[in-house]
Amino acid sequence: MKGAPVVLGIASFAVILVIWETVVRLSWVNPFFVSQPSAIAASLSRAARSGELGHNFAVSFREFVIGYGLSVVVGILAGAFAARFRTVEYALDPFLWFLYSAPLIAFYPIFVLWFGLGVPTVIAMSFLLSVTQIATSTLKGIQSVNPGLLRAARSFGATERDLLWKVILPASVPMMIAGLRLGIGRALMGVVVGELFGATAGLGYSISYYGALLKTTDMIASLVVIVVLGVLCTEGLSAVENRFDSWRTL
Amino acid sequence: MLNYRMFVSILTMMAFLGAWELAPRIGVLDVTYTSQPSRVVAAGLEIIRTAGFLRDVSVSLSEFTIGFALAIAIGVPLGLLLGRFPLLRYLLDPPIMAIYATPHLALLPIIVVWLGIGMQSKIAVVFVGGVVPILVNAMAGVRGVEHSWIVAARSFCARERDVFARVILPASLPSVILGIRLGLSRAVLGVVVAEMYQSQAGMGNEIMRYGSEFRTDYLLFDVLLVSLFGLTATSVVRRLEEKLWTAGE
Repeated sequence: MKGAPVVLGIASFAVILVIWETVVRLSWVNPFFVSQPSAIAASLSRAARSGELGHNFAVSFREFVIGYGLSVVVGILAGAFAARFRTVEYALDPFLWFLYSAPLIAFYPIFVLWFGLGVPTVIAMSFLLSVTQIATSTLKGIQSVNPGLLRAARSFGATERDLLWKVILPASVPMMIAGLRLGIGRALMGVVVGELFGATAGLGYSISYYGALLKTTDMIASLVVIVVLGVLCTEGLSAVENRFDSWRTL
Repeated sequence: MLNYRMFVSILTMMAFLGAWELAPRIGVLDVTYTSQPSRVVAAGLEIIRTAGFLRDVSVSLSEFTIGFALAIAIGVPLGLLLGRFPLLRYLLDPPIMAIYATPHLALLPIIVVWLGIGMQSKIAVVFVGGVVPILVNAMAGVRGVEHSWIVAARSFCARERDVFARVILPASLPSVILGIRLGLSRAVLGVVVAEMYQSQAGMGNEIMRYGSEFRTDYLLFDVLLVSLFGLTATSVVRRLEEKLWTAGE
């Protein structure tokens, strides 16, 4: 029974692909609008052979890694400082709140003014979209550490450093990683949208490019790559999350 | 302690605004790139008086309202159904999760090809952005309902319909509202970005236009206005959510 969800999940993707292919083959639906799985697979393998796919993927992935990497460093540091010093938390609060709920992509034209079209703007958007998520999760994770544990450790003579490494970090890591996982989605969104608007390479750029040429098949092919990338990254961190969380149940 | 919190928050905000106002005046920053609070306010007063402003606001608002209403109308019932029937969930969960993990705005170009550059494509983007978190959380809400309550209701001869309407629905309501709140910010983002991408009217259209004219002050006013809308809507839903959580205890 445990394998049933997996089998049904794979079956559901297979059914979707078959229906999609069939309705187009039977010309119930115009392939101009929806393309078809076989054509998309062909487009993907052609793009892979010509090196176009590899290039676009490399550009997007690099932007993602830099933007998200910056977010991780800045977000965790800011979150940790805010958790340690109350004044820092209160000072950061309005800014985090604003960044969290503002439609940050609307700042895109200003970023273009500041950084120019292309890679730096995309990195900036990806950073800005994901950093708040990581900072707030780190802050909440550290704040949620059971004060009883801290008191117990202190009364046994733990120093500040012991507290950090042996109590605070292990207890707050699961929530931090949950924040990192949510941050991935937002960082990826920043990369894709940044590239949709103004870039010269990347997966988002190629969607926008083929969209303008009305080449649906090639557009959906790039979209598929983005979906796969998003799923892989999220699943990867979910696995890490489960590992770090497993000690709690022991 | 609340006072200290407010004091520090307000102080840093004032410091930020002050630095932003002063830096261009003493020549540290170029006002073309960063604008200034005073200029943003002045720009706002001008924008409000322009003829196109009200039209843009109403276009964006109606796109948002229609799209988000559709997302709620479809996402909540579908999520509740998926939560109730495991077989259906196993079948539909993987595609839904794949969409959830994807940056939904990547769908923008294809939605434009399907629905054109008018209001329909924006409504669709708002819908796609809003519906997934609503659906996922409604589903999680139903699954999180204490099983013993259902058993208890059944043992008092509640019919399947009663169980759903009187136990499952109220118990999963907080989670449904959480989904609506999460969907809300994605929906607001969806309207603006879709209009920035391809459109003839709306706040996103204005933002893009001011951006290409290098009118940073005008642009910032519009961005702030949209942010304020998102902030207000989110906190209204959050209030509702807190009320429901405490009502349940």
